[in-house]
Amino acid sequence: MANRTSPRRNPEQAPETEAPASSAATGAPRDAWVVGGNRIPFARAGKKYSSASNQEMFTAALEGLVARFGLQGERLGEVVGGAVLKHSRDFNLVRESVLGSSLSPQTPAYDLQQACATGLEATIAVANKIRLGQVESGVAGGSDTVSDAPIAVSEGLRRALLEASHAKTLGQRVKAFAKVRPADLAPLTPATDEPRTGLSMGEHQAITTARWDISREAQDEIALASHEHLAAAWDAGFFDDLVTPFRGLVRDDNLRTDSSMEKLAALKPVYGKRLDGVTPTMTAGNSTPLTDGASTVLLASADWARERDLPLLARVVDAETAAVDFVHGHEGLLMAPAHAVPRLLARNGLALGDFDFYEIHEAFASTVLTTLKAWEDDEYCRTELGLDGPLGSIDRTRLNVNGSSLAAGHPFAATGGRIVATAAKLLAQRTAETGAPARALISVCAAGGLGVATILESVPATDATA
Amino acid sequence: MTGPDAARPADRAPARVETLPAVPGLGGLYVRGVAASGRLAAAHRLPGATPRRDLALPDVTYRVAGVPTGDDAAPGHVGSAEHLARYARLVGEAPSDVLPAGYLHVLGFPLATAVMVRPDFPLPLLGMVHLANSASALRPVRLGDALEVRAWAQGVRPHRRGAQVDLVTEVSVERTDAERAAGSGLAATTLAYRGVSTYLAKGVTLPGDATPDDGETAPAPFSPPLPTARWSLGAGTGRAYAAVSGDRNPIHTSALGAKAFGFPRAIAHGMYTAARALAETGPRRGDTYDWTVTFAKPVLLPSTVDVALRPAAEVPAAARDAVAQVATAVPDGAGDPGAGLVYQAWDGKGRLHLTGRVTPRP
Repeated sequence: MANRTSPRRNPEQAPETEAPASSAATGAPRDAWVVGGNRIPFARAGKKYSSASNQEMFTAALEGLVARFGLQGERLGEVVGGAVLKHSRDFNLVRESVLGSSLSPQTPAYDLQQACATGLEATIAVANKIRLGQVESGVAGGSDTVSDAPIAVSEGLRRALLEASHAKTLGQRVKAFAKVRPADLAPLTPATDEPRTGLSMGEHQAITTARWDISREAQDEIALASHEHLAAAWDAGFFDDLVTPFRGLVRDDNLRTDSSMEKLAALKPVYGKRLDGVTPTMTAGNSTPLTDGASTVLLASADWARERDLPLLARVVDAETAAVDFVHGHEGLLMAPAHAVPRLLARNGLALGDFDFYEIHEAFASTVLTTLKAWEDDEYCRTELGLDGPLGSIDRTRLNVNGSSLAAGHPFAATGGRIVATAAKLLAQRTAETGAPARALISVCAAGGLGVATILESVPATDATA
Repeated sequence: MTGPDAARPADRAPARVETLPAVPGLGGLYVRGVAASGRLAAAHRLPGATPRRDLALPDVTYRVAGVPTGDDAAPGHVGSAEHLARYARLVGEAPSDVLPAGYLHVLGFPLATAVMVRPDFPLPLLGMVHLANSASALRPVRLGDALEVRAWAQGVRPHRRGAQVDLVTEVSVERTDAERAAGSGLAATTLAYRGVSTYLAKGVTLPGDATPDDGETAPAPFSPPLPTARWSLGAGTGRAYAAVSGDRNPIHTSALGAKAFGFPRAIAHGMYTAARALAETGPRRGDTYDWTVTFAKPVLLPSTVDVALRPAAEVPAAARDAVAQVATAVPDGAGDPGAGLVYQAWDGKGRLHLTGRVTPRP
């Protein structure tokens, strides 16, 4: 497997490893390819999609993918995705979306949820089944709505309702409801607080930001670059074959074309204001807003795509998921990608500099900066990551070149699909220009101290289709 | 803050043991406590009252045997699986059949209170301030174990603001019928838990006023670290813990009750906050552990409390020293100041509410 994962060092071997018709026959994994993607524009919470449900948004994104690749009536291997803020009635969210699409109703599906890493983990899950020869094709994705989020009842009312539903007599039922107190009637809206710490994600990141001493200016620079890059990509038509309009929205509506360092500097900090001796730096400008949206990615074996004359944008090389102990303050909540990436690189014999593109999810501008700073820190890399020295630095001109979550918004489960499709297309374009393989590193942090990293790689058409 | 351990006198249960038929109910005890408190408070505050030279503590150990847990406990009451689950949910303990140290405190608290409402207990129950608490879990107590509980008072001594006293509670696991029948060499009971609660009776003067030598040094200045957690404590926090613990002291359950004792609003039970900190240590504390807490500024409800729970080795020496002022309830626990987890909790203005340590026992 080692030589398969780095065709740059061994390009002549890539075609041969593509050849086996069935990995089930040979026992050797084959490649899974990103064929393309489709999402709906991301909308700020409470705006264009305020009445759209997760199922409606995911179905719209999926249906756009079907249309884009001519998959009507096709029985795919599986569709995998999920939503972070999900009502219990949506237990089969993805399967129900498949049934509402023009895919063959014989297409299986399952729901998966890993907070903000849902979409990327779904991509890995589908890719792995393809690599094992268990399926030939599949769709990965996710959907999230803050505007249409499920609202729960208080614990007191919930227990009373349950007790009443189990009651056999009117008297028992009355007794159950008699326990309800006026305060129990207030609804509970979903929060982004970590259940174990009671700190919001923003507060957690404010602590990490303070610990790594990240400046306000550096964060605002990341935010401004995100908006500028995303705007340029939209203007260049990059998203024309990656996005389908929905509910009258044709572009991500969080995108600001008039942003500037001055405007960003004028915003008041919103996180970290309670921290003793710390000047708060995180604002609404350098933090992602709550967003609604859905995304999908089509993955397939080379044979399946070739039979349908579909492109092979990039292959999924490998992936690593990490988790960190943030509960006792040992590590920052959103620092798991800092751990996942070096493990992923080591397994694939790669260095941090060996990439043409870096897609580091911008949960907050400072998430990107603390991660990069951690990889440059000798002591941290030795003691926390178990490395011999710093992991290294990256060429910042290769980072989030078409914008990321600060500009596009971040509908939790939908972000992975957005990033994978963007990175795969960037790689395919690069290889088409240069005739050489190109490689991208993706990392996504998630609630619960989770982080997922993935390597995608494009190879020249002659190699990929041999 | 006060170093309640510094001069803790000989730690021995009174030899005279009085066995009660069952753990008494707290409600009735409070009624007796209120009556006695009025009488005692009046006596202590008489104009020209000379320092009491005879603050003798009751020379008795209260004992209750055969305290049931699990299926043998009254459904929904202390010791039952349902009650343990309610407690665990409230303080954030993981679901388990093992009774956490905070729960054993709740279980033994009425017996300790019974000692404090005896006519010969020299300090008024009402208005007492919980200064510190120290507990050692020496072996796991599981649902279904039959327990023996003992409680007594010891160590009355001067404090800068009055007199302090320790209430000791011990919980032992009784040998099962099967173990007895098997004729094993097991003792009739095995000590499983020991808790020492240090209370302050304000305004009671003892001969030999507290001096810095008695551990009465000024509180160390506290500078908040970066938090690892934040507790949002609603106005009903005291009532919720009162419902589970039975400790319905009015300073915790109503603003009016709190005002009567000089607090602007109801205050959280100290042991509720300490139990939450204990719960946050999770499985890291091990099966047997020492758990200490010093209470500083009370938590007025509702309140947002910032918390840091960190390995002791990562905590500055000053903060470790503050924690080390409370001795473990059973000696020979962790002597290593770098062992275990240290927790601190403070308010939005950076004022310390409580600090303590949870250390696995060797």
